[in-house]
Amino acid sequence: MKLAATLEDVQAASSTCLRCSWCAYGPWPENLPLCPIYWHEPSFTFTGGGYLFLAMALLENKIDFNQSVADYAYSCAGCLACDTKCAVIRSHKSHLHIMDAIRLLRSESVKRGFVPEGAARKIYDEVRKTGDYGQVSELKLPEKIKNDKADTVIFAECSHAGSQKDISKSTIRLLEKIGSPVSQFAEKGCCGSTLYDLGFWEQLEPLVKANWGKMKPLKDKTFVFMNPHCQEFMVNRYPEILPDYSAVKNQHISQLLADAFKNGKLKSKNTGKVKVSYHDPCYLGRGLKIYDAPREVLAALDGVELVEMKRNRENSFCCGARALGDYVPNLSEDTARERVKEFEATGADLLITACAYCKDSFQKVMSEKDKGRVKDLTELVDERT
Amino acid sequence: MVIKTVTSEKEAACQELKKAIGAEKVRDDEITLVTHGRINHGFDPSIPYQKPSMVVFPESREDVIETLKIANKYKISVNPVGTAQMGIPTAEGDIILDQRRRDKIIEISTDSGYAILEPGVTHDQLTSALRGTGYKCEVGTMTGSATVLAGGLGRGSKSFSNRHLSSILDLEVVLPDGTIFNTGSMMYPGVGPHLRYAGYPDLAGLYTGAAGTLGVITKFAVRLHPVNEVSKVHIAGFSNFSDAVDYVKDLVNHNIPEHCIIWNWHMYQTWPLDAEGMKTVMPEILKMDILKPPEGTPYSMVTSFLSGYEEQVEFYEKMCAKIAQKYHGRAYPQEEVEKRWPQTMAGLKQQYEEYSYREGTHWSRGRWSGFVVFAEPKDIKEVEKLCAKEFSELGPRARPINNYAHPFDYGRTFLFRYAGFPETDDVETRQKIAKKTVEICTEALKRYRAIPIAGTGEMPGEKAYLSVLSRIKKALDPNNILNQAAGARMYKEEEE
Repeated sequence: MKLAATLEDVQAASSTCLRCSWCAYGPWPENLPLCPIYWHEPSFTFTGGGYLFLAMALLENKIDFNQSVADYAYSCAGCLACDTKCAVIRSHKSHLHIMDAIRLLRSESVKRGFVPEGAARKIYDEVRKTGDYGQVSELKLPEKIKNDKADTVIFAECSHAGSQKDISKSTIRLLEKIGSPVSQFAEKGCCGSTLYDLGFWEQLEPLVKANWGKMKPLKDKTFVFMNPHCQEFMVNRYPEILPDYSAVKNQHISQLLADAFKNGKLKSKNTGKVKVSYHDPCYLGRGLKIYDAPREVLAALDGVELVEMKRNRENSFCCGARALGDYVPNLSEDTARERVKEFEATGADLLITACAYCKDSFQKVMSEKDKGRVKDLTELVDERT
Repeated sequence: MVIKTVTSEKEAACQELKKAIGAEKVRDDEITLVTHGRINHGFDPSIPYQKPSMVVFPESREDVIETLKIANKYKISVNPVGTAQMGIPTAEGDIILDQRRRDKIIEISTDSGYAILEPGVTHDQLTSALRGTGYKCEVGTMTGSATVLAGGLGRGSKSFSNRHLSSILDLEVVLPDGTIFNTGSMMYPGVGPHLRYAGYPDLAGLYTGAAGTLGVITKFAVRLHPVNEVSKVHIAGFSNFSDAVDYVKDLVNHNIPEHCIIWNWHMYQTWPLDAEGMKTVMPEILKMDILKPPEGTPYSMVTSFLSGYEEQVEFYEKMCAKIAQKYHGRAYPQEEVEKRWPQTMAGLKQQYEEYSYREGTHWSRGRWSGFVVFAEPKDIKEVEKLCAKEFSELGPRARPINNYAHPFDYGRTFLFRYAGFPETDDVETRQKIAKKTVEICTEALKRYRAIPIAGTGEMPGEKAYLSVLSRIKKALDPNNILNQAAGARMYKEEEE
């Protein structure tokens, strides 16, 4: 979706919504609820369709933009389940998705000065103050593998998530074990994914342009991402936002690790038997369709047994991390709790994920003694290679 | 932060209801209310926007009773709904009673072939629960997240059978004064829904199509049908609708298919399209004249669902081919359909082999707008011709025109649906179609005895019927709190 889009642009697609609530469920025959907000509050209002109907009510002047609209818009966890399920909206000639309408509601809320209190407000204030949401990455490549001319460029994401630091450390150690030359893209500046999702679009375009300007000279290399949000944003949104964008080869770290096991550059050491369950992060799975690589990595680890949760792959249930509004109280935590409950039901020892936000979200609702049971894929591989 | 909007009496009713059944089941926040301003299946700008005063999500029968009691006390209209409702008018300030959280499958009887359900059970839920039981339920052409009650109870068109007009067996109903009763044989403790009427009149019939104006259904039973050893879809093509009707009538008279649908060529090529097909194939078909299918494309396609023992189905297939020839058509092998219209075959397989629904992408492409009637086989042919002529006068924005027909009640009657595909935001064309629909219904009734599926209150003979209904309505709902908007259409005499 172009940043110049307005609510009027989603009206035609929104009006094809059948109000059937199908967007909230996984596929037949399981029909499991996948939309966190609907799972929490089963009502048409809290479906993808509800957001579309609100957009239309705003356009018809049935309701004014107010703080409630913003709180509601930011309460969606942005897990993309609705867009994966509903073919109705995406079959419209405008090529829009339900999530586009939700992001537009956020962007319009921001334009009118309505930003929810809490994490979203904190980010907004920082963005307004600095024009950025970027931090210098703490990822420092060892000299042994660092080579500015290398074909592989590790995209050093900023460390917004508390878990990112440890994930970065594990990633460095793994890259060192693999031993191939790597260069690093560690410029200050947010890739733009957070700003885009949260509707802070005024500051987004210059940021994305600047970022692309720095990436462009490296575009013939392969970018490797640790954070699926950054990767998804670059792969799927840069082409929509940047007129001069040209496709960049990219990999998620799980894909690089899977390749490393396949070509023998990474070897598993058996450090005992362990049962793990893998949580598909929304942007890695539904956003980028990367489901197999993390599982291939787990299969390559000696002594590791994968036990799937009931909702997995395309039908994964969100961790709730990005539900930043408070229209439905405790939504973020309750969503994480529900997922942890599902993990516990598998009888697995460890909950493995591949996104720092997911790891943070799960750990937030787990007891101190259990927090260690949540690991990023890179951390598990690092421990067992 | 939640901003509340209801005031005065309605605010008082809302507070009382929250206290009675729990605040978490009653929503009166502005966003919930505006997103329920149009509750019908699909956004339709030509349907007036009516903001409710609250939306209630009962989790038990007792919650429904409490809601009715309080609505009765404050004289606020209650509109009971499920998901994907169709043709349910609402009024400003209604209480929307959304039963989606009441979604328990109470009983599946494979011995007697019925399921007893709470009103929030969806078709997807029921079809999933039936997997492996050797039984299936009726399946239509809508999304599976629609509640069985929404489509099945209001109308008899959801079908997997030529043999019945309605899938509904018995009901449990709550009246505004708190009375609870069961219709049919379910009235006897421990007895299942076997007979809708025996010693007493058929009260389930009274509630079928009443749109919640005579009581709130809190439990209901639907027919199930056995899954036989072999199931197959037979496909036959015809150059005109009349031949297709004769073919279907012949098949049904010989007890061959469980279920038939006659699709016109626009419909069978576009109904099962996926999202990509909707963007690429659909626009091309939209440009073509419905009356002139491309060379080699049958005007009507009949899909017949055959089931039984292997030998039986083989025999049925031979019979279908023979009868198709008799009516100047021919059988289309599945491989041929798969090759020529791959998405059509995929859709048919999903519907008939997995007995699950296709997603409503077809419906969403401009949204159906047209009419539905029931008529006898010989008359339905004429109705189709009349529709083709009348709809073509609506101009290119209303086209293409799609239709399909099902036989019911052992072929005694056919349901026939004719529709245009105006863009969703083309209110002018939609309104033209709505006007034309009434005109065609009146004409089709007069000339061809075609019964409109939605009464208008204007047809000859409706007055006396509605007068009786009004008297029943007054007795059951003296304060007129049950779906006033729908009631205003049905109980005209009471209004006067």
